[in-house]
Amino acid sequence: MLQDYDITALIITLRLAATTTIILLIVGTPIAWWLANTRSRLRSTIEAIIALPLVLPPTVLGFYLLLAFSPDGPVGKAVAALGLPSLAFSFTGLVLGSVIYSMPFVVQPLQNSFVSLGKRPLEVAATLGASAIDRFISVVLPLSKMGYLTAAVLGFAHTLGEFGVVLMIGGNIPGQTQVLSIAIYDHVEALEYGQAHWLAGGLLIGSFLVLLMVYGANRRIHLMKTA
Amino acid sequence: MIEVELHLQRSEFQLNVEFSVPGHGVSAVFGPSGCGKTTLLRAIAGLEPDATGSLEVNGRKWQSPLKRLPVEARGVGLVFQHPSLFPHLTVEENLFYGMKRLRKVSNPFDLKELILILGIEQLLKRHPDSLSGGELQRVALGRALLAEPKLLLMDEPLSMLDQASREILMQLLESFLQQIDIPVLYVTHSSEEVARLADNLVLLSRGGVTACGPTTTVLASLNSELSRSESAFSVLQGRISNKELSGLLSVECSDGIDLKVPASESMVAKHYNLGRAVRLRIRARDVSICLERPQQSSILNILPAVIMEISTSSDSGSRVIKLDIAGMHILSKISDYSVQQLGLHTGQAVFAQIKSASLV
Repeated sequence: MLQDYDITALIITLRLAATTTIILLIVGTPIAWWLANTRSRLRSTIEAIIALPLVLPPTVLGFYLLLAFSPDGPVGKAVAALGLPSLAFSFTGLVLGSVIYSMPFVVQPLQNSFVSLGKRPLEVAATLGASAIDRFISVVLPLSKMGYLTAAVLGFAHTLGEFGVVLMIGGNIPGQTQVLSIAIYDHVEALEYGQAHWLAGGLLIGSFLVLLMVYGANRRIHLMKTA
Repeated sequence: MIEVELHLQRSEFQLNVEFSVPGHGVSAVFGPSGCGKTTLLRAIAGLEPDATGSLEVNGRKWQSPLKRLPVEARGVGLVFQHPSLFPHLTVEENLFYGMKRLRKVSNPFDLKELILILGIEQLLKRHPDSLSGGELQRVALGRALLAEPKLLLMDEPLSMLDQASREILMQLLESFLQQIDIPVLYVTHSSEEVARLADNLVLLSRGGVTACGPTTTVLASLNSELSRSESAFSVLQGRISNKELSGLLSVECSDGIDLKVPASESMVAKHYNLGRAVRLRIRARDVSICLERPQQSSILNILPAVIMEISTSSDSGSRVIKLDIAGMHILSKISDYSVQQLGLHTGQAVFAQIKSASLV
């Protein structure tokens, strides 16, 4: 059965994934919009930077984040200057790391969705008197529903499965920064296969159900469109 | 007045236009594809951020070298070539999208009546993806009008429709665009649409305006590229004067000058009452010239005319001749050879044989 510290790890994981997803949807929207519409030469550079976590071993990202967060690192110094607690080995640090690590999983679906929207609906809305913000809320958001759902699910799921970055910057402190994936690793290391099964199996089934819901919703929206 | 002076530089294309048209009625922007018609319309709407110059619509400055109003502040109605309803909204919600965003609603249209005129009363609760092309375009027109635009722009609104829906929408536009108080700029490459809808005509060619003015005057001018082209045509206005002839209608175009045009019995019964104002389109290549009145000809319309102007010879060896028939001007396209043979010259009295004229 699940131990108390397993349940704590589960709650920390869900909190981390939820916080990260919400922040990413808010931060990712303007980034994805800019990428979808800009003619700037900077675009490819920004796209490449955002896609980096897709190819880098998470430990590389975690290593540099750890250096940045350390008391001598640029971020660590800035945080200390503001009188805030250190980011390394803290939940806030984990959220920051996860936001960077899961960024492409949110930005890319949003960007694709904005691109496929085309300019026409927005031009029509403008001629009908809608301001830029009004156009975004009344036209872009409802027409990008699927993009947002995909982005949210991928961002959430990817953060759930995070291991390397968390281990590097979180330090595996039970009750504070120990997440599910690391708890599983610890159980396996300790040869507690039964408990590892509970966590791993739960994660497997949970992830499957979430994806099933997304694809189901996707299909319903698709059917509605062709009905 | 609608005064336009706009410039736009693209890598492979330049738009440099300067013209003005009356601030009421329908003005057609006519030209071959690729001449910049759509770009011009988009620049007027404010959708081309790189367009420079100035633009004034009935006293309101939309753009000057110092300031340009954003699209949403212009009060411009735009009906695109592809019907562009919002797919996530019902027909009704689409119709009201612009109206809901008006600061001050003055309701120039009676909503129920407009919906009836457009013939969309059955569609209100439906989603755009279940509508036909013609239905979509009628909803798009209603949506643009309900936003109470100061200028209505239409970009080949009929070109994507099949023949039947095109005819329905055309008949609607013919009567409706004349009734509304909003000036219309209507982009098209169809001479039929020009003849049927346009009070004024702006000819566009390779990104520049070649002629501009009342439709009949512009069409009768020999200076435009259109008059030299194969598709040159004239438009005459008249009234139905006799509908007793079998298969024919008589149209009085000028004092005592009647033109006979073919018309099916059912059309005559349905649409054409005695005295109704109609327009005729006559292609220049359907008008030939004789020095004496031909006797016993199968051609119905043979009228005395005076030669006003003869164009220079074109590449294809033909010339365009501007004829005056009791004050009306029509173009005739004949070969250079015939002009020489008959010794045609300005001021000469001749007879114009009009092989076919069509009611539009």
